[in-house]
Parts: sequence; C-alpha cells; structure tokens
Amino acid sequence: MTNGIQGGIRPRSYKAGSIIYFEGDKSEYVYILKTGRVLLTYIKIDTGEEVKEEVRQGEFFGVKSALGKYPREETAQTIGETVVLVLSLGDFERMILRNVNVVRKMLRVFSNQLRRIGKTVRTVLGESENVNPDLELFRIGEHYFKAGDFNKATYAFKKYLEYYPGTEYARIAMERIKTISSGGPAPSGGGGSDDLGDFSMESDSDDMFTFDEAPAPKAQTAPKPAASNKSEPAIASEFSSEMDDFLSDDNSIDDFGDFDLDSEASSAPSGLKGRFDEGESLFKRQNFPGALEIFQGILDGGEPAKEGDGKYFVDSHYYAGVCYYEMKKFKESMNLFAEIIKNRSDSEKYKGAVFYAGQIFEAAGQKDKAITYYNKVLNITPNDSLNGMAMDKIKALQRGR
Amino acid sequence: MLELDEKFFGRFGVEYSPNQIIFCEYEPGYEFYFIQKGKVRIVKIINDREKIIDVLGPGDVFGEMAILEEQPRSATVIAIDNVRVLKFHRDNFDALLAGNPQLAYKLLLIFSKRIYDQKRRLMILLLEEPSVKVMDVLIMLAEQNQQYDFEGELTLNTTARQVASWAGMAESEAQKELTHLARVDKIDLFEDRIVVKNIRDFQRVVTSRRKNLYS
Repeated sequence: MTNGIQGGIRPRSYKAGSIIYFEGDKSEYVYILKTGRVLLTYIKIDTGEEVKEEVRQGEFFGVKSALGKYPREETAQTIGETVVLVLSLGDFERMILRNVNVVRKMLRVFSNQLRRIGKTVRTVLGESENVNPDLELFRIGEHYFKAGDFNKATYAFKKYLEYYPGTEYARIAMERIKTISSGGPAPSGGGGSDDLGDFSMESDSDDMFTFDEAPAPKAQTAPKPAASNKSEPAIASEFSSEMDDFLSDDNSIDDFGDFDLDSEASSAPSGLKGRFDEGESLFKRQNFPGALEIFQGILDGGEPAKEGDGKYFVDSHYYAGVCYYEMKKFKESMNLFAEIIKNRSDSEKYKGAVFYAGQIFEAAGQKDKAITYYNKVLNITPNDSLNGMAMDKIKALQRGR
Repeated sequence: MLELDEKFFGRFGVEYSPNQIIFCEYEPGYEFYFIQKGKVRIVKIINDREKIIDVLGPGDVFGEMAILEEQPRSATVIAIDNVRVLKFHRDNFDALLAGNPQLAYKLLLIFSKRIYDQKRRLMILLLEEPSVKVMDVLIMLAEQNQQYDFEGELTLNTTARQVASWAGMAESEAQKELTHLARVDKIDLFEDRIVVKNIRDFQRVVTSRRKNLYS
C-alpha cells in the first residue's frame, strides 16, 4: 500500500494515548497508519455495546465520515508512539485514482456494511428476511398484474421465466404473459375495471355479472368465457376440463366487494337460523352427508329476504362445499366455493373458500392451479392460520415437483 | 457530476421510456447503472403496495450492490421520464475502474453516504417512543442541511408522510405526534414544510432517551 503515498501527504507523530479524533468531530481528513498502533472505539447502535478495533499498519481510517461529510462515528486513539499519514480529500482522491485495487477492497467492505445495516433496518421494521427470491419475483409480477400495470407485470414474469424456467410458477407466468399479450384480462389500458382485483383475470367481466344475476346459485356451471380470452390449454384429466372452464371464468373473480348482497332478496325460508345451527352441529360431528342435506336445503330456498339471514345463506355454501369436499365430490364442492369466491368476497368464509379451491386443485393433481390459489390465500387479509397452511402447501408442492 | 467519455454511451448506453422497469426486486443482477439523463424511482412492494424508497437523477448510481455481491436486487427501479443510463456488467468493473478512476472515487462517496444514512435511520427506528422518533427524524433532516444554524429557527421541507416513512410508523401516528408538537409550540406545521423553533431542545430529549436505551 505504500506505492502511491507521495506528494503533499504529511506524516504526523503522536505520543502514546493521544486522541487523533473524537466521535462526533467533523473533519475532512483521511488517515493511514504508518507505524505504531491506533485503536478505534465506537458504540454499536443496535446493542449499545462498546466495540474496540485496532487499525493495522498501512490501513486507512476515518474514510467514510470524511467522504460522506458526516461526524466521526468512532474515537481514534493511539497506543504507544505512532505515526500516521494525514490526507486531505484531494490527496485521498489522487491516491485512489492510482490504486484501483484499494478502491475495490474498500467498496467490498462498504457494500458488506451496507447490506448488514439494511438487514438490521428491515428486521427492526418487521419486514421478513425469510423469503425465496423466486417466489418473491413471481409475486411482484402478480402485484403489477393485479394492479393492471401490464408492462411491469410482463417484465417481472419474463424475468421469472428467464431465471426459473420449468417451475410450476413458470407455467403460470407464461399464462399471464399470454393473457397480457392477447389484449389483457381487463378492458385494455389496464385498470379499466376497479372490480377486477385479485389474481387472475382471464375472462371478461360481463360474463361475471351475467352470472351474478342468475337467481339460484345452487350447482351452477359457469358460462364459458369468450374463446379469444382463453389462454389455458386443455388439461386431460378426469374432471379437469370442467374445472378448466370453471377456472378460466373464475379467473376474473374476486373483489366484487361493492356488490350488494341484500338487494337480491327472493323468497325467504322461515327459521333459517335454527336449520343452519342444526346443520352446523351435524357438521361438527363430521356427519357430512347429514349436514349437507340441511345446508343444501337452505341453498334450495334461495337468497333469504330477511336481512340478517344473508350470512347463513352464504355460510351454507361454504359448509356444503366442505361437506362435498370431505365426501370427495370435488366438482360439486368447487361450484359452491366458486359462488363464494366470485360473488361473496366480503364474506368471512371467502378466504376459506379460496383455500379449499386450492385443495381441490391439489387433489385433482393440478399443482400449478393449487399453488395459484394458495398463493392467493396469502394475499387476503387478515394474516391468520390459513396463511401458514397455504405457505406450507406451496412449499410442499414445490418440493414435490 | 461524473464526466464519462461520450464513447462510453455507444458501448454501454441504454435508454428507457417513462414507466419502464429497469430492473426488478429479487431479480438476479450483475450490472450497475449511472444515470446520464432523466429520473428513476426506486420502489419496493411492501404488503402488496408499491412504496417509493428514493428518487435518483443524473449523476446518481444504482444497482451498485451487484458489483461485489451475488445477491438478488433489493428493490425495483422504474424510469420516471425518458432515462438514459450507462450500464456496466460486473465483469467489466475492473477495466472500467482502471479506465475511469473518478468513477471509483464516486462510488466510494456514494457508499459512504448511504451507510451513514442507513445507520442514522436505524438510530431513529431503535428509539422506543413515537414522539421521540419524530423528534429525531426532524433532527436528522436538519443535519442533512449542513448550512443550517442549529441555534435558530429552521425550516425543513418535509411532510408528515415523509416523517412517518423515516420513523417507520403510520402516517396518522406521525401526524398525531407532529400536531402535538405544534400545539406545545415546538414547531409550526405547514402543508409542505415544518418549522422547528429550537432543534437543540429535541437533541437534548433524544440524547437522553438514547442513553437510557442501553442502561
């Protein structure tokens, strides 16, 4: 390190125990230890502990605060007779310009420090460190996709495909890109429809509203969306083709939060709560066929007129869906969860329904769709036990590939 | 500002149009960038919201972490207007440094400042009481203006929202604290600025709280 130390740089001698500078001093000098010993003392900001570090001969000190023009963060004190070289910023710059390797070394030290501090800051802010870059990159794509910012979504998905091809998510990323390039899921320009909130949006929203207005939600099959919007290749499994139809329609689900449930009133069955409680009690005893009969009866009665009964009606969809799921009648189950996902996104059962949709796809061997739905669970507030379960499912599915 | 040969633009120049992503958070990255023209915003998606971390302009550098460390990008960079950058691959870094030592010096300056800013922010975040955090944010903002005379009244061009972001708290909470400080006549609140009557008062409070943190 001695080559390059020439010119106007002055050596300065100190007696033992001298202070070269104090913490909090402002100065634009940089030092190099020539002979003797220098001890730097500072307080660690996150723990308050005092740290002492010895400078090695030939090493720089006081660099960062001089360059950044901020107060010294440490006190520099000599141990024994010591000689240092004192450099003005100009001297330092001239020296640096001739010693690219020194710069490189300093940059490495600085960049490590920066990472470490950044990490501490994020920990203090409660931002999780425990992330998979691939999953996170995909989620950024999803974020922009949802927001209708398709150029940014395309960028993120393309990068995802570039770095993580062949994963389950890669397929979804590919679908998203196709959807976007075929004119986008929503009215063009992005963000045209506020209702198109979450996740996928491969169909056109008119279909959704038509579907909504249909009177009896029981065992509905969704109308097919316009073929031009379908980017999903057919998948050959026992019942997947219907699911696909369902899904490509369902893909524009969610966040129809403004939809007014109560205005759709039709005939009201009496004693709804009593019957619901009965069904719930059977359900809790895991008598699924018995519970199903009751819940199905409630559904057959149609949307209740009494305002307070709306919840039981929606919840009956959910419980009937779970009953079907437990009885491994996935298609029927999915239809019921679909009703909640599409039209009852303000229900407290909404998140559960999305989770079950994931489980149904998982049971059907459609891992990518299962992951899509589990991933969606993660994005629904509040953060509850379903988040953990969904995350576990995603991890298991990714491992199991 | 960095003066790089125009010949560099031919080899390393890239242009971006408004709202275009330059790179994306979590993407592996091997290049770093110098802004020659235009502005970019640095954002992170936090809780499904796009949060602006910083705005950079001509002469600024970004993506520099990629030079030395194999880590994915820690934020997304998006062009605000028509942006012209020089883009350097880490493999060219040595050659680039050798040919442009000023650039090396500039990088050292940038890193030094960023480390300090981050540490300073951490010091704020580690304080316990919201009211003290807000005071320390105001102190930090005053420190950033080196020409300020700490003895008199000083004007900080900032908003409750920015204060909240520095202090790591909700905007409403920061607003509450600032309103309180205004009520007890420590500051005057304006839409686009905050006037601090006596920053020394705040420094005394913060220093004493900080001492107590570890005792």
